[in-house]
Amino acid sequence: MSNLSDIGNLMLLYINEIKPNEGTNTPKFLITATAKTLSSLGGRNWVPLIVKEIGEDRYEVIGNSFIYAVAEEAGLEKVWCIIADSSEETAKLTKVLSREETPKINLSTATRDEIKDALQYLIEKPNSVLKSVKLLVATNRIDEAPRQYWQNFEPITKLKCGITKGKKINALKEVFYLIPQPMPDVIKDPTILNTLPTAELKKMAKKRSKVGYSKKKKNDLVELLSQ
Amino acid sequence: MYETLVKALRSLPSDAKEAIVNHSFIAPVFLKALGFKPEECFPQYPTGKGADAVDYALRHNTDDDIFLHTKSHPYILLELKGRDKDLSEGSASYTSTVKQLKGYLLAPNCKTVQWGIITNSDYIQLFKKHGKVIYPASLCLKITPDNVGAIVEDIKQKIENISRALTVAIYNNKGGVGKTTTTVNLAAVLTLHGRKTLIVDFDPNQQDLTNSLGIKPAKESLYSCLEDKNNRVNLNDLINPYIFKFKNLNKEFKFDIITADDKLFEEREDKLYQIFKLHRFRQVLNNFKNKYDYILIDSCPNWRFFSQSAIYACDVVLIPAKHNNIFSLKNAAVAIRKFIPEIQRIRKDGSPIALPIFFNGEKITEAQRITAHYGIDSIIEQARKDRDNKFDLLPYFYPRFTNATKDRYIFDLPSYAHIANTAFERIPAAYKYKIAYDYYINLAKEYFLQ
Ligand SMILES: Nc1ncnc2c1ncn2[C@@H]1O[C@H](COP(=O)(O)OP(=O)(O)OP(=O)(O)O)[C@@H](O)[C@H]1O
Ligand SMILES: [Mg+2]
Repeated sequence: MSNLSDIGNLMLLYINEIKPNEGTNTPKFLITATAKTLSSLGGRNWVPLIVKEIGEDRYEVIGNSFIYAVAEEAGLEKVWCIIADSSEETAKLTKVLSREETPKINLSTATRDEIKDALQYLIEKPNSVLKSVKLLVATNRIDEAPRQYWQNFEPITKLKCGITKGKKINALKEVFYLIPQPMPDVIKDPTILNTLPTAELKKMAKKRSKVGYSKKKKNDLVELLSQ
Repeated sequence: MYETLVKALRSLPSDAKEAIVNHSFIAPVFLKALGFKPEECFPQYPTGKGADAVDYALRHNTDDDIFLHTKSHPYILLELKGRDKDLSEGSASYTSTVKQLKGYLLAPNCKTVQWGIITNSDYIQLFKKHGKVIYPASLCLKITPDNVGAIVEDIKQKIENISRALTVAIYNNKGGVGKTTTTVNLAAVLTLHGRKTLIVDFDPNQQDLTNSLGIKPAKESLYSCLEDKNNRVNLNDLINPYIFKFKNLNKEFKFDIITADDKLFEEREDKLYQIFKLHRFRQVLNNFKNKYDYILIDSCPNWRFFSQSAIYACDVVLIPAKHNNIFSLKNAAVAIRKFIPEIQRIRKDGSPIALPIFFNGEKITEAQRITAHYGIDSIIEQARKDRDNKFDLLPYFYPRFTNATKDRYIFDLPSYAHIANTAFERIPAAYKYKIAYDYYINLAKEYFLQ
């Protein structure tokens, strides 16, 4: 990086040269009260705004939008800013670090401990739609399911762990995402077979030229296919 | 045989930095003395957690698998410090180094690791890893030219001996907190996950465990095994299998039990102390160490012969408690800061250690949780201020607590009516009820399974 670049520097910028981007949804009270506190305690925003450069004398907020709103409310002409680089990664990371976005974990590969902490976070949030979910039950059923193959969160609704279609399943999207592995052509693992519907198992049995599958019950199908 | 070790140690400057300790002592002589060839030692081994690297990972080569090339299946990790860092037990750098080693041992690339070593060539300590559990396998020893040979020999012997089972005593000297229930259901879920498990009913006064599974005592009694030092008793006769069939899956699961013993119950306690040394039960259990993955001991709610023998015999102590019963919390604290250290002083290998306590079998409201935290905070504070026996209980009550997070997390195994009911049905609840299974497998994964 040339030393003419401002990346990484703390700078005092004119607020009207900064584009607020998406802004903040912080309640009005917190913004006005913080602005008052800022004015009465010296008027310098010691916690800086994080911006990227988008043109000559033009910047855009990528983190700490709350500080922007407060500075605006307090009528500051200039604000202290850290200049970050313009990459998407930095914008994303800054949002997570400034707690404007919740970080997500990959449910396809997450450990049981990670799943438990994430679910606990969701369940204990104020007014959580998942309030009635039993943490240990949901944790284990999700952990032990063949989630590495899930294309979406829908299979969770079949685990009987209190996470149903609609609002509840959608709430999971705040903390989880999926990068599924392709389903193997031949599945022999009984724990995975057990999670599939009977019709699906029969299709598999047909494809694998197994005999006498059509009248079998689920458990026997699983046994047949796991050989 | 250990002359080179002594020589290298003598030639080390007393303020040798890590690079020098490594260059003049660890790399050329110490690792070799432990039995590892250069191709069996991987320096700066990436643990798989971020960019973390441990100073050495070690593993013996097999015909077609050279550790230095494949990096697979590490067996020992060694975290090295310089002599400028004080590694004597209790010092700040000791605590941070142990924490560092534990982080490495639990990292993704180190699942196969069984041992961890910290040393700065002045001090050395060996740790054993079993699943998620890490416990001392030696004291933190001061190394001198006189004892360095013996220390290395001792470590070598330990790491060359496979010791398969983790022995866990389930203990709280407060009664009715769920020791027996935890023992049975933990055995049940560990078995479901393919771990060979033995449980011991070491509460002859109540024999709850034996009764709750509806088992008749085995051919041989524990008493005669404890008494027999000439291998006259066939140890297999001591074992009772508990077999459970899942009819719908057409599958069978089995764990083993050493049942309660009437003869032990009938003997007066003061007499027991005269007949048996405290280490005798451990000696008997040692015969089973390589046949099982887990040995769980259900112990009785007091601090006398049976519970003392159980704590002496185990590697780690699992302590159930109740958030709404201050005695169960205070008793847990006493066990951790008094009873267990008493046994540690006799055992002289740094073990057993307590695992963090957990709450068992109660519903907890937010307000009750806060009340429990107040109670625990004050127990921790008292132990910290105790002039005669200053002790840091924090990691045993709040394992996640740091100055930055102040996280008061304690694992909670909720109350579930069917868990209590099945005691009369002679089936572990975890086998009969899916929710009970969910609860106990969480307990197993929280503490044991990696
Ligand atoms: N998670 C739970 N949910 C509901 N009931 C439970 C749970 N855990 C234990 N119990 C019940 O609590 C009671 C006491 O449990 P348990 O006998 O296991 O305790 P203990 O510590 O072994 O007692 P003791 O000190 O007498 O040996 C039993 O009736 C048991 O069924
Ligand atoms: Mg009991």
